[in-house]
Formats: sequence, C-alpha cells, structure tokens
Amino acid sequence: MRLLYRAGLGLITAVALLLVLFPFYWAFLNSIKRPEETFQPSWIPFLQFQPTLEHWRSQLATPEIRHALLNSTIISIGAATLALLLGTLAAYALARFRFNRPSNGALTTWFISQRVLPPVIFITPFFLLMRQFKLLDSVWALVLLNATFTLPFAVIILSQTFRELPRELEEAALVDGASYFQSFFWIVLPLALPGLAATWVICMAFSWNEFLFALSLTSQSAIPMPVIIAGAEHTRGVQFWFVGVNVLMTMLVPIVLALLAQRYIIRGLTLGFLKG
Amino acid sequence: MDSASDNRRPPDYEADPKAAPSKTRTDRTKYFFIGPAVVWILAFTIFPLFYALYTTLYSYRYGQRFGFVGLENFARLFADSNLLSSLRITLIFVVGTVAAEMVLGVALALLLNREIRGSNVIRGIATLPLFATPVAVGYLAITLYYERNGPVNSLIRALGGEDIPWLSDPFWALVAVILVDIWQWTPFVFLIALAGLQSLPSELYDAAKVDGASSVQNFRFLTLPLLAPLLWLILLLRMVEAFRVFDIPVSLTLGGPGRATEVYSLYTYRTAMRFFDHGYAAAQGILLLVIVMLIVTVIFSRVRGLYEEER
Repeated sequence: MRLLYRAGLGLITAVALLLVLFPFYWAFLNSIKRPEETFQPSWIPFLQFQPTLEHWRSQLATPEIRHALLNSTIISIGAATLALLLGTLAAYALARFRFNRPSNGALTTWFISQRVLPPVIFITPFFLLMRQFKLLDSVWALVLLNATFTLPFAVIILSQTFRELPRELEEAALVDGASYFQSFFWIVLPLALPGLAATWVICMAFSWNEFLFALSLTSQSAIPMPVIIAGAEHTRGVQFWFVGVNVLMTMLVPIVLALLAQRYIIRGLTLGFLKG
Repeated sequence: MDSASDNRRPPDYEADPKAAPSKTRTDRTKYFFIGPAVVWILAFTIFPLFYALYTTLYSYRYGQRFGFVGLENFARLFADSNLLSSLRITLIFVVGTVAAEMVLGVALALLLNREIRGSNVIRGIATLPLFATPVAVGYLAITLYYERNGPVNSLIRALGGEDIPWLSDPFWALVAVILVDIWQWTPFVFLIALAGLQSLPSELYDAAKVDGASSVQNFRFLTLPLLAPLLWLILLLRMVEAFRVFDIPVSLTLGGPGRATEVYSLYTYRTAMRFFDHGYAAAQGILLLVIVMLIVTVIFSRVRGLYEEER
C-alpha cells in the first residue's frame, strides 16, 4: 500500500515535470529541424531526423535580431540598475528610520499598491507623453518605464533584506562618529550584496519579458526581442523553425537570471510576504 | 496597516538615543533616502494616471486632440458591445485560469511536501515557466497546438481522441489560451504554497499525531486554517495578474478567431494604438482599474492578517 502510494506520487511528479519541460524541448527540436521536418511529429534528433544549426546561424546573423538583442540588453540592464538604485535608498529608509504620517507601513503599502494597477491604463498617457517629449521609439523610454514598474518590487524585497541584517555593526559605527551615509556605504551595502544582486537580476528578467509597452512605444530602432518575436508571424507566416530559435533565444536570458536568484524568488513572487 | 509596520520593524535609532545622531540630521537623512523613489513614482505612475483621467475628457481623431467631450468617453463604455464582450472573455479567462491554477498548484504542493529528495531540482524546474517570456510562450504554443501533426493533437490521437481545432474554433481558441496560462502560472501557486507548507510549525503536527488525528483531519483543522491567509494572497496576486492578460492572446491567437480571444487589454490596446482613440482608451483603462480595485479590496481584507502575523 505504502509502496503503491510512493509509486503514484512518483508518477504524478514525473508527469508534472514532463508537462513543464516538454514545450522547451519542442522549441529546441523545431530550432534544429529542417523546415519540411518541423511539420512531422518526430521527437529524437539523429535517429528520426538529421539536426541542423542552420536556423540558429541565420537568425543570429540577421541585423534586426542582433539589434533587438542589444536593445533588450540595454533596456533590462538600464531599468534594473535604475530600479535598484532608487529602491535600495528607499528600502533602507523603510527598514531603518521611523516615519510618521505617512507611517512606514502606509509607505510600504503604497509601494506595493503600484503593482495592482493594470498596465493597460498607461498605454495612452505614456504614448501621448512620450510623443510630446520626442521619446517614441527610444530605448530610454523603455528603460524609464521598466524601472518604474520594477521599482516597487525592489523596494519591498530590499527592505526585507535590510531588516534581516544585524544592526549592531551600524550602531557601533554611528557611535564611533560615522555618518549615516558612511555606515550605509561601508557596512550595510557590502552586507546586503547577495540580496542586491538577486533583486537586480530579477528586475532584469521582468524588464526583459515586458511586452505591452515595448509594443506600444517602439516602431523600429528601439524594438526589443519580445516585439521581434511578435512581428515575425505577420510578415512571413509562422515559420516553426525560426519561432523555435527566437523563442529559445528570448527565454534563455530571463530563465538563467531567475535561476541565479533562485533563493530570492519566493520572496519576490509574494512581494516579500514569505521568505521561502 | 500601521500597526503591522511596527510588528515588522526592529527598533530604530531614534528609540535608542545612545546610538542616534541628532534629530534634525536623522530627519534630513531619512528623507534623502526615501525621497527619490517617492518622487519617481509620483512622476511616472501617479502623474500619468491623472493624465489618463484628463485624457478621457477629450475626443481624439487620428491621434490628435479634437475637442472637449466631458464624460462622453465613459458613456461610450456601456454602449460598446465589443468592449462588453472582451470583458466577458476576460472574466471567463480569469475564473478559468485562476481556479485551475489554485487547485492544481495547491494539490501538487500538498503531495510533494513530504518528498524531500530532489526538491531543489523540482523547485528549479517549476521556476522555468514563470520567467519564460510570455510572448515567446505564446508563439511556442502555436507550434504545440499545430492542428495536423502538432504534439498536443498527436497525444490526443494516441489516447484515442479526435483532432481538436485548437486555433481555428472560437471555443477551443479560448481554451488554448487558458491552458497556456495554466502551464505558465500553476508553478507559481505551487512554489508559494510549498514554501508556505514548509514554514508551518511542525510541533502542531506532532501534537496532532499524539492525539491520533487522521491526515484528513490534519488537513481540515490544521493545514487549511494555517495556510488560509497565504492562499488568499496567492488568489489576490493571481487575479490581479490574470486581469491584465495581454501577451499570450496576442501571440497565440491575435484575439481571434474573430473576437473569440480578444481580452480586455487587447481591446484597449487596439483602441489606443490602432484607432488612436486615446480618450476612449483611457476611459477603458480606468474602468478596468475600478474593476480590479473592487476585487482587490474584497480580498485584501483577508490578506491583511498574514501581513500582520508573519513577522
């Protein structure tokens, strides 16, 4: 009976893992199949079909795609850095100082509540404002927007991180005559480095994946990877082999980033409610 | 919320005069630290929000402001059958995905809570769909749902079923979109529920064991009440997220066939970016905000408990 239970559990786990992993494998298969083979239900390279790296080579040589990869890199690094910079300062304030009216709790809730706003509200105001400021089709507009939308997340995660740091070192430094800034720079930041790195990386992954504003505010020179994927179908029809390459290329970056920050993921996903 | 903050915060410098520099210096410092983020959000979130509200008062033609129309853009909302249909589709999507994700995710977490071996690998694999670019997932799904020889229909045929017209039939297209969302977000519910289960105090279960509680009783009288606030939080986060659905219908079905999968955000996107009817698009955005806020307010009262007790 017990054995049966364990076997059932193993089976359920295996099926669940297979369901999660199979789509990635399918994208990989499509990316190494010859075009005419992508419409065949063949599963095993070498045995059922001869794999080719042709599509990877041709996609990586396409100027639009290289440019989009570059744009995505600028947008995600820029946005994450900006969010981290602003977020670190605010998080430290929330973790170490007492505010009255609004209180620390009210401020925290205010930051969290930004995550509730449906992004679609902002299409119109951002489009009109960016047009006014001549920032349409600019990577900097997307840096700014993604920094804005990842900032609340950074504030919440980092204020948790700071609260968990021992206070004695900071207090000793202050007693010895260090300023708040000195103790912040030389004591707090080095201690919080793992949390800072994880937050930066998760903000980068979020910004890399962002699609709605990228689609609304770019037209040519600022187009990042998610928009490139979306454009492929309408101009050339769905070409499964190129879809395979592009999909994997785009997903790889945020997935690797998320795995690097694995320890902080649960906390991040619950907006700091749960340590995990 | 205020009392919550006090529970969560360690005592600060001002409470410990020995360590505290002068009051004015502290005051200046703390505003220096928090100021930039607050100003940033005021400038790039709150101001655009009000700008959207202001935009609703005008009519736009070909993207240019045309004239003051008062509340007419809001009046149009209730006479627009396409908008109401997109709202209906979105509600079906939200209920379908969130219900399935909650049940599947929590069930998997309960099952795997005992199994310790390989749990890091399982957690790592569960992270993959969460961070996979949603647009990319949508396009990948086109190849999976391919009607003649795609793996989904191949599997259904192998199990003795008939090919399903995934992307060409209005009903199945919506099912297809919902299934992709379930694939992507069930791991989210699973990961959080699992972390929640593992943070439950084991002493309670030891005591229940001594008292001879069955595993069903354990679940009903210990696990469920202890986990309830966290489950409400997951529900809240998932619903907020599900209401903004955009990427997957755009990439998988482009809202079609017809308008079968034209969700709310897609309709608003088209109003703004295809018809450049900005005033009306802004009004649609505000309506969605009101709907989401109503739901958040109802659920948040139950989440508050967690926020106060956890630390």
